[in-house]
Amino acid sequence: MANQETQLLDEIVTTSRRKMLSFGLSSLAGMVALEAAPSAQAANAYTDADILNFALNLEYLEANFYYLAAFGTTIDKPNNASMSAGAPAITLSGKVGTAGTVSGGSLVPFTTISVASYAIETAVEEGKHVQVLLSALGSSAVAQPALNLGTAFQTLATAAKIPGGATFSPYASDQTFLVGAYIFEDVGVTAYHGAAPLLTSSANLSTAAGIMAVEAYHAGLIRTTINYIDPTGTGIGSYTNLISTLRATLSQAALLGATPSAYDTAPDDFGLATFQVTLGSGTNATATRLTDANATNVVAFARSTTQVLNIVTGGGAVTANVVVSPATGVFFPSGLNAGPNGFR
Amino acid sequence: METVNQLIRIAEKRGVSRRKFLAGVGATAGAAAAVNLAACAGPLPTQSSGSGTTTTTTYTDADILNFALNLEYLEAQFYLYAATGNGLATSDTTPGSSSGYSTVGSVTVGSAAVVPGLSTAQQQILNEIAYEEQAHVRFLRSALGAAAVPMPNIDLSFFGPLAVAANITTSATGSGAFNPFSSFDYFLVGSFIFEDVGVTAYSGAAPLISPAGVAAGYLAAAAGILAVEAYHAGYVRTSLTGRAITAGSAASYPYLNAANLVEDLRATLTVGNSADPSSPNSLETYLTLPGNLTTPSSIVAANPSSAVGFARTVNQVLHIVYGSPTVGVAKGGFFPAGMNSIFSVTTA
Repeated sequence: MANQETQLLDEIVTTSRRKMLSFGLSSLAGMVALEAAPSAQAANAYTDADILNFALNLEYLEANFYYLAAFGTTIDKPNNASMSAGAPAITLSGKVGTAGTVSGGSLVPFTTISVASYAIETAVEEGKHVQVLLSALGSSAVAQPALNLGTAFQTLATAAKIPGGATFSPYASDQTFLVGAYIFEDVGVTAYHGAAPLLTSSANLSTAAGIMAVEAYHAGLIRTTINYIDPTGTGIGSYTNLISTLRATLSQAALLGATPSAYDTAPDDFGLATFQVTLGSGTNATATRLTDANATNVVAFARSTTQVLNIVTGGGAVTANVVVSPATGVFFPSGLNAGPNGFR
Repeated sequence: METVNQLIRIAEKRGVSRRKFLAGVGATAGAAAAVNLAACAGPLPTQSSGSGTTTTTTYTDADILNFALNLEYLEAQFYLYAATGNGLATSDTTPGSSSGYSTVGSVTVGSAAVVPGLSTAQQQILNEIAYEEQAHVRFLRSALGAAAVPMPNIDLSFFGPLAVAANITTSATGSGAFNPFSSFDYFLVGSFIFEDVGVTAYSGAAPLISPAGVAAGYLAAAAGILAVEAYHAGYVRTSLTGRAITAGSAASYPYLNAANLVEDLRATLTVGNSADPSSPNSLETYLTLPGNLTTPSSIVAANPSSAVGFARTVNQVLHIVYGSPTVGVAKGGFFPAGMNSIFSVTTA
């Protein structure tokens, strides 16, 4: 299958673009009325390869986090644990941009089968996503940038006001690992969602939609497990609210004062805190939030590249309402690797 | 009853001759399925209602959204009954003036009722999913406006025959006949019937949306609902797996195997790719029971080589919700009078 997909994606990368839209922000403005006219905005000159490379940067980050947590190694250095789990050994074949090193991260001393098995499964799947994107992009693939998977978590945990954030490590225990994973998963969904309408062929779109689905499965997995461990939200459940609030703040800053689209409200992120709903003909009820989506129409959020960049760089993409490019910070100390168009 | 009998025959044949079903139809998975979808973009052959003759109908973005709306009506009714004992408000089921349909369908309730014995956390989860599927109904109806089709007839008693077809028997669960409204574990198996399918349906439909529809935001909306369905599927699969891990063995938590029997049945009904879920070409991923700290789980349903989620064609989804592998079927299963859709007849 990898070969078939590679061929499809190769074809796509060279296909002419269907229609340029502004990157994710205002395309949904007409959603409420079926006949609403499309408003093609001034286009960012992203090619399909740019979009796939943006995703590849994020997959490098996620895959290395899960490999380190589950196997104690990075994606390019297989060990007995990674091989016996069936995790792909990644050849870092991407050459565009500047190759960097991975700092931080270590094997989590898991004590529960559920959390350990979830970590292993997720590592394997994120590794395969790196593989798929690398082979699809071929010589256009970006190199793995410098990744900070150590102190970056403390920086973000502190910014999110997590108790003891200055010493927070996602590699310390089952529970802190879940919190670390929570930081990534919902963001992946919003990034693929924001990118999907920009892809040009249906085969490419299918692959992006399929990867987005997997990210959402992962996000559902993490949120479900945190809810199961802390159903009343007094422990790590409360951390999810803090993290989501931080992400929403960083995302909103990257809107640069623009109004979110019809369903991308601000805030565009929710932790696991319960909320009140009305069901059927008027039954009031309390609901969990195992799904991170708009509270009214329950469509998952989409984020532009700038919004995603501002989250994964901890605010490095925007200063005083102006986009900073290249964005650097926290997980990406030297920024993302990009083709000639850059990312902004 | 014809559908039920078909399903029972399928069940009887399963262990022996799954692959005889539509033998010779090329197996597709992941991106390969996307090629088929891409090839379908544009005029689709479909059955004209009643006459049985084949005509060519050009579908619109509204037709795609309306197909999704039919599925959301079904999911919303299931979860609302499970959470509250009642269904959608009538105002959420009415026909749009230009939808081509004038009659609101009814729900065959069967044994649908509030799932008993829920913990507070479990009740809040049911409330959430019910609310979210209800919100999808409202969102699609709002997006479609006058073009929104009404709710078709929905049969929530179809779980019984479906379980028979899937071989989910008393001996499989050890606690009576399958009824998703009888316990939390049975509810998980019942919701399992829908959730992965919803993901694949939206994945399959997304590339069919026209460029104008993309510009209007329909693709982004469909992708956003797809993500929510995957969150739900992740929840259901995580819960089944986690409860099996807690129970300690497959024997002491038979619901995991019951869910895999559902996968077997769905695979059989995925006409065009009915490969066994254990096959690399299948559009299904069996749930597994990790036995130690170094075994991966199988929460995600995705292509085993690429970890890209699956897509199903409209036709494959129809076969599943009608509970029939037969071509030319216009109704059955959860939709006893058929869907309110131009895609309401199985075509391949």
